[in-house]
Amino acid sequence: MGASVTATTGAKRYKLSKLEKSERLLGIALLTPAALLLLAVVVYPIVELLINSLYSYRLTRPGYRFIGLENYAYALFEDDRFWHATLNTVIFAVVTVPGALVVGLGLALLANQPFKVKWPVRLGLLLPWALPLVFAGLIFRWFFEYRSGIVNAAFEFVGLPPQNWITDPNLAFFAVCVAIVWKSSSFMALILLAGLQTIPKSLYEAAEVDGASKFQQFVEITLPMLKPAIVVALIFRTITAIQTFDIPYAMTNGGPGNATETMAMYIHKTTIDFLDLGYGSALAAIMFVVSAIATSVYLRHTRRDTGRN
Amino acid sequence: MSDVVLTKVVKAYGATAVIHGVDLHIKSGEFCVFVGPSGCGKSTLLRMIAGLEGITDGEIRIGDKVVNDLPPRERDIAMVFQDYALYPHKTVFENMAFGLRLRKRPENEIQQRVKEAAAILRIEHLLDRKPGQLSGGQRQRVAMGRAIVRNPKAFLFDEPLSNLDALLRSEMRVEINKLHKRLKNTVIYVTHDQVEAMTLADKIVVLSAGHIIQVGPPDEIYNRPAHKFVAGFTGSPPMNFLDCTIADGGGAIELAGGVKLAVPEARRATCAAQAGKKLTFGIRPENVLANPAPAADVAAVAAQVQLTEPLGAETLGLLRVGDGELTGRFSPEAGLRAGAPLAAGFEMRKFHLFDPESGAAIRGAGW
Repeated sequence: MGASVTATTGAKRYKLSKLEKSERLLGIALLTPAALLLLAVVVYPIVELLINSLYSYRLTRPGYRFIGLENYAYALFEDDRFWHATLNTVIFAVVTVPGALVVGLGLALLANQPFKVKWPVRLGLLLPWALPLVFAGLIFRWFFEYRSGIVNAAFEFVGLPPQNWITDPNLAFFAVCVAIVWKSSSFMALILLAGLQTIPKSLYEAAEVDGASKFQQFVEITLPMLKPAIVVALIFRTITAIQTFDIPYAMTNGGPGNATETMAMYIHKTTIDFLDLGYGSALAAIMFVVSAIATSVYLRHTRRDTGRN
Repeated sequence: MSDVVLTKVVKAYGATAVIHGVDLHIKSGEFCVFVGPSGCGKSTLLRMIAGLEGITDGEIRIGDKVVNDLPPRERDIAMVFQDYALYPHKTVFENMAFGLRLRKRPENEIQQRVKEAAAILRIEHLLDRKPGQLSGGQRQRVAMGRAIVRNPKAFLFDEPLSNLDALLRSEMRVEINKLHKRLKNTVIYVTHDQVEAMTLADKIVVLSAGHIIQVGPPDEIYNRPAHKFVAGFTGSPPMNFLDCTIADGGGAIELAGGVKLAVPEARRATCAAQAGKKLTFGIRPENVLANPAPAADVAAVAAQVQLTEPLGAETLGLLRVGDGELTGRFSPEAGLRAGAPLAAGFEMRKFHLFDPESGAAIRGAGW
């Protein structure tokens, strides 16, 4: 009410009425606990981590010494193991993100079929997603076991020689990729299924009348209509791919050698096994930057896309 | 020639039949409207012609081809959907061109046909836009444009105007009418709005519960309804129905409450044949007169005005006659007042009789 009275000239600023002011106060009061909690569990650890990354801080040696950007310089210019772990992480992402997208899209299309009984399909879709990552890693480690694994059993069944899945560097990498794709494609499928269900049926009918075959309907209707969901799924999947840890940890523990070691595993080893908190913090900060860059690339892409639409 | 012929068409879901053996011949170039209340099967019938629903039994023929087992794309039809079903990620041009592209027409032909259709529908300035940037009426035009570029054997419209507001709807009705006069294609149009049916159709097909109740041109549907259902579905307000019996050996109709209406000479024989039976008397609101001058075929009745609804150009009055109630359509000058008595009259050359059990119209020659 007060607002409309003061709004006599165009340039004049609207004043908040008493009611609006009290609502704003209530809003601030309601948000404060959540903001404080975020500050305590997100902002404080990040700041602490950034500070630690500027120090030489090893629990195996006494002292807490400021060394500026030395930790960063060592990681970027001298530490081959860091670069190897980074390369592994990138390859994992490049292989498993599209892999999970393709498998997830297939699963989503399957689950979107008009089955009479829907729950077994939905359950099959949800199960890999609901399973803890370490479990998935252990299950696949057993699958790829040399003697008792189901994969070698299948190889022998069709007359192929058994393979050293876990101890051969290339095969181990491949095995870890398979496990990651299996685990992550169900999450992809869930997001894509939600996207599929928003596409109106009449679009397919219109396309059918227009003369499109099922494949043309998929290319001309499903894929473009699903694009926003695909982008969201890719963003989430890429961010988690950069953080890949549990599955290779449970399957190979980074081995053989460092063949399947990821950035996250190297950070974990540096901090927890080698107790080098300063250097571990610097590595974590670098990984954070990489994640942020990957995210912003996708976000930019989506923003441009919505702008065009 | 692109006649659409339905022969004993049945649609059943399991044991439940929803279309019960429909026979219909839609001639080439005809504007045929399926009309009926929700759930009468009109959309299902249209979707069966389109090929979006299979048929359980019978035969559908488009042109000289039996299309029972052909998918929609091989039936050479175009359809306008209730929600328009425009491809949101394609421009208006690409929406209209899609069917031609799938048929691999040369690019210059596509350009030419889309532009021609856009010109007819006055949407040339929208060709680069996406459907999300268009108003409801514009989307409707694009949906029609997408149908006409292909020059199909038949256009199928599934309640195309039901998402538009009243003003736009009457505007688009005129547009569709003009379009049909210009293109002269076979059109099958589904609506639950009897005004659309009356104004657009060459032929109206009235459906109820999966049966065709009556097929005919609009004036026949309106003036000679074959069934009480048709009479009650057409006209706004619809026909009045009152219980009656035939009295005086066919010379009079007696309404409940003892009101007697003299039957004109020409209709007496038919009425006499129904003597003693309980019937339903039907009269359209415009055939109820206020303060009529005495005339041979106007039956004077004493009525009580219960309610008036002034609509500007006319006034609807809810009247009590004997034990029954009916609505009349009067000139505002008639000076109807709620609660006041009215010397009313029925135009007895225009009344209808129905069998109360079956609902079938009882009609003599020349009625």
